[in-house]
Amino acid sequence: MKDLFTEIWESVRRNKLRTCLTGFAVSWGIFMLIVLLGAGNGLQNAFFKGGDRFASNTMMVGGGWTSKPYDGLKEGRRIRLDDKDVKLAGSDAFANNVDDIIATVSISGTASYGKKSCSVDIEGNYPERAKVEKIEIMYGRYINARDIQDKRKVVVVPQNTAESLLPDNTPISELLGKYIKVDKLSFQVVGINKSDRMRGYNMMAAPFTTVKAAFNKGEEIDDITLTFHGLDSKQANEEFETRLRAAVNLRHRAAPDDRRALWIWNRFTQDLQINTVSSIINIALWIIGLFTLLGGIVGVSNIMLITVKERTHEFGIRKAIGARPWDITKLILAESISITAIFGYIGMFLGMVACQILDKTVGQSTVSMFDDQIAMLVNPTVGLDVAIEATLVLIIAGSLAGLFPARKASKVRPIEALRAE
Amino acid sequence: MLIELKDINKTYNNGQPLHVLKGINLNIDSGEFVSIMGASGSGKSTLLNILGILDNYDTGEYYIDGRLIKGLTEKQAAAYRNSMIGFIFQSFNLIGFKTAVENVELPLFYQGVNRHKRHELAMQYLDRLGLADWARHYPNEMSGGQKQRVAIARALITSPKIILADEPTGALDSKTSEEVMQLLGQLNREDNVTIIVVTHESGVANCTDKIVHIKDGVIGKIEDNRQHRSSIFGTDTIMK
Repeated sequence: MKDLFTEIWESVRRNKLRTCLTGFAVSWGIFMLIVLLGAGNGLQNAFFKGGDRFASNTMMVGGGWTSKPYDGLKEGRRIRLDDKDVKLAGSDAFANNVDDIIATVSISGTASYGKKSCSVDIEGNYPERAKVEKIEIMYGRYINARDIQDKRKVVVVPQNTAESLLPDNTPISELLGKYIKVDKLSFQVVGINKSDRMRGYNMMAAPFTTVKAAFNKGEEIDDITLTFHGLDSKQANEEFETRLRAAVNLRHRAAPDDRRALWIWNRFTQDLQINTVSSIINIALWIIGLFTLLGGIVGVSNIMLITVKERTHEFGIRKAIGARPWDITKLILAESISITAIFGYIGMFLGMVACQILDKTVGQSTVSMFDDQIAMLVNPTVGLDVAIEATLVLIIAGSLAGLFPARKASKVRPIEALRAE
Repeated sequence: MLIELKDINKTYNNGQPLHVLKGINLNIDSGEFVSIMGASGSGKSTLLNILGILDNYDTGEYYIDGRLIKGLTEKQAAAYRNSMIGFIFQSFNLIGFKTAVENVELPLFYQGVNRHKRHELAMQYLDRLGLADWARHYPNEMSGGQKQRVAIARALITSPKIILADEPTGALDSKTSEEVMQLLGQLNREDNVTIIVVTHESGVANCTDKIVHIKDGVIGKIEDNRQHRSSIFGTDTIMK
């Protein structure tokens, strides 16, 4: 093995400039591949950041407007979910797949504490909600079972609502245990959670039973969140949705296939779609990167052909004194793979450095969009998997580049090579 | 018999078919010092290529040490060349970017001998040819005679059955030519190496013990030259 590398080094040393120029093209190709994939990862992390916010086996169901006439009623009718829909979703018909059913009901009002006030929404909720929506509690706790049972007047306040209720420069933990007024009722703050753009900044959580009783909501509810199991494919999910929709729609005298009468937001199928989109983006980036690399590979192949031509005489001598064709093939292939791999790794290293720089600069900045700060790139780097894949690509590319020249070299006939003096 | 050639025929088919060897029959015994002499175009180079397993022949039989050399794959041919034949060329054919000792080592490299052992052996051979001090020099730093001695060391290192020398003095001046021929003679006498020299110079041929004359693809007379009196011009020196 050492002998082989000595031979390669001897050959490369004689052609430093041209080897470096060719190698640059390979470095550039891999550099582009790594930077593209890194930036692609960063973009995807930024756009699909909300993706891991919900547990993936949940779906949310809410009422809409009917879009077709049914059972003697005209289209355009509002469907409101109520307690009976919760019972329906929990019935035996869906028991094979449904685990938890969480209903919510919400009201809007004005919250005040001391001299400060702001408009808020209060959502009547169940303890399971924290897990399903991955709500992060900063101080205190979330709604618990006792709260539900005793209809306690407690709330969990988002961070930024707490900030706007407290005087300036007061730590938000101050609010914990205090009583705030919502309209005419007072609630004790038992927890403070991280604000979230997707949930809405001023959405406070209170026990479902409390909100229902205190604000006279009757049977009406806002939406139902189901956690489910055993729906592993897109098809299984769609079948389940169709069944659920038909059952709920019929109860409200809407057409069973009326998609607008009942909206279903399924986290699982949403995830599937996001995964499909990100793999398409990834494939596209790989293709662009590989085509950039192709230029480098052609260069290496070209330079190896010239090397073989220059060394024909030498290969003739080697063959005359006993080199087998494979010995010659090996020499050229190893040289080609070495050049590709070494310059490829330089490119890969620089590409990773560039990704880190990108992370430290663009990755830290945000742009304003829809009244919100959105990061353009989040962690725009590539993982070990890409490094291993790129290594494989380099070895395959080096072999391909060397294949044709090596075959040519192994076919050198000693008498012709030695005659060429 | 070390070498047996039976009715060897060879035709080149480049456009006009050219019948180069027309039934060569030749036996060479182990330990002989033979020259094959002929003018250019006589077929002596083709014969040398066939003897060296660098080229194949159309009909006939060629045995080395009782083994038929015919229809070999490239891999087999390479193995035979490596173990049985040592080559000495007119233009030395040393590898320019390798030092003298690395050049000498090369045949052992292709036998898979380890680095240490082959270096040691190569140094022994260089030392024997008086080139120990030049081991680390590159071919372009050496004189023609030195280069040819490196080439001889390379040919000897695998202890081959046959040394094939193709115009070994062709690129050397007369004094060096004489030294090289004396060296070959010495190797033949002392180590009992079988040496076949191909030449068109009568002076070179005169240094050998047996002269095979080849003309127009057939063997003419085979001269016993143990007295080294074949050429009146070549008795004392090599004519250039």
